[in-house]
Amino acid sequence: MSVDTTGATAGAPAGPGAPDGPGSGAEAVAAIFRRVLESSDVTADSDFFELGGDSLIATRVLSAIARNHGVELSFEDFLLAPTPEGLARAIEAAR
Amino acid sequence: MSGTGHLADDHPDPTATPRTTSAVVVGAGLAGLTAAAGLAAHGIEVTVLEARDRVGGRMHGLQVAPGGWVDAGAAYLGERHTELLALMADLGLKTTPTTMLGASRFALGAEDAIRDGRFPPLNAVALGDMFELLDELTAAVRPDAPWLTPDAERLDTTTAAAWADRHLTHPDARLFFPLFLGEMMAADPADVSVLHMAFYLRSGGGIRYLNAFEGGAQQDRVAGGAHLVCERLAERLGARVRLGAQVTAVHQDGDGVTVHAAGGPYRADVAVMAVPPLLADAVEFRPAPPVGRAGERTARGCAVKVNLVYPAPLWREHGLSGWSVNAEGPLLSTVDDSPAEGGVGVLTGFVTGSEAHRFAALDPERRRAAAVAQAARLFPMLPEPIGFHVTDWVNEPYSRGCYAALFGPGDWLGNGPTLTVPHGRVHWAGTETSTEFFGLMEGAVRSGHRVVAEISAR
Repeated sequence: MSVDTTGATAGAPAGPGAPDGPGSGAEAVAAIFRRVLESSDVTADSDFFELGGDSLIATRVLSAIARNHGVELSFEDFLLAPTPEGLARAIEAAR
Repeated sequence: MSGTGHLADDHPDPTATPRTTSAVVVGAGLAGLTAAAGLAAHGIEVTVLEARDRVGGRMHGLQVAPGGWVDAGAAYLGERHTELLALMADLGLKTTPTTMLGASRFALGAEDAIRDGRFPPLNAVALGDMFELLDELTAAVRPDAPWLTPDAERLDTTTAAAWADRHLTHPDARLFFPLFLGEMMAADPADVSVLHMAFYLRSGGGIRYLNAFEGGAQQDRVAGGAHLVCERLAERLGARVRLGAQVTAVHQDGDGVTVHAAGGPYRADVAVMAVPPLLADAVEFRPAPPVGRAGERTARGCAVKVNLVYPAPLWREHGLSGWSVNAEGPLLSTVDDSPAEGGVGVLTGFVTGSEAHRFAALDPERRRAAAVAQAARLFPMLPEPIGFHVTDWVNEPYSRGCYAALFGPGDWLGNGPTLTVPHGRVHWAGTETSTEFFGLMEGAVRSGHRVVAEISAR
């Protein structure tokens, strides 16, 4: 009866208060991807939706970006560049 | 319910000679029928007692065209619902994908919009902040024993409404939260504890899985209607299933258990209660279980399902999926539920949370007028529907709510620890007794399998 149906035991899920990795730019966004997708298989050019992401958890990435980088991106911004490097550029452009 | 028409009086007749069987299963929904089929497969003599004049419980099909059925109750499943899928395969039933092609329709306050995808025209960061908080709660819950979750006492005494009031500051998050909770678990935020909300989301596979169509819990429907799962199980059980047999009392002694039902008592070695907690507590148990199945704040799941039938899925010709999310009721969301067999177009509307109580209180004409007018506002290409069905699960006497019972403040700490613990010869089934996929068809099947294992090990 104690089967973990969420797969959350793989890579202890960090709460919203936890930092999403050091540094800035693509690596920092990749760290957010890894946390919300519960997957280590993320590189700078990984497409969020091809990794199994959907619009609901895309908003969690935008929330983390706002928290960590002080930049509020829109859902459309995300759709235009759904990779760590694309979002890192969007963060820079919005500063 | 026509099944109540010919019932005998509610008081068990002690003079009637009980019919004997090895096991009595109370309730011919998915959990009870799964349990009964499993017991029969173990060579155990079993009788299923069902109050209604049909099997299926919260799974019910409506015929909307020749050979075309829609689900008036439980409908969706996904790949993680492995025990339901195995059962369906065994019964020769197939899945049909929920098609979601085209743009979504949103009526969320000032923003009246048509958009690609399912993301609402609301502040994405505000919704993301909300989902981050919900994910944190969901990840922290003990899915197998929610009452042992760290800080369980505080989470169990706080309602989801109070939590939202404190933690959701952006107006878009405050607008969307009750819609999301209504959609996910047919709950008014005031009715559930934070612990139950977090547990429910975790039990169903997490927020993303529970919310998703493709790749999630709404990926597929049962081809021909979900009710077929129960009907095929009932066919297999044959005369073991007795309809119109409402159970009023369950009395145990050293030698066995007597189940008093309309139509006469049954004497058995064991009984399985496979009904929702609020219905189980309406049965007289002797001796009484140390803890009830429901607590003082356990509420009915607040879902009313509306099926609007049109000559064809006309929204598709306009590039729309039929999916909508709406701040105003009665239809807080709509989805294309057209039978795969074709013939007609079906737009299914979900009336959930507090809106379900409001809508259910209207007379049938007003319900129809409100739902049809809203569908036409959302999808102006729609003519007057050729068929219209309302299924009010909130006030169904033999369900008392849908999707599932809502555990309010105090319920998990009070009732959780005994959720599956047999009361002497009485075993407990039903989706509300499954910590895995609680509230879903999958949870019902798993609970049925659990009681078969318990009884065969006695």
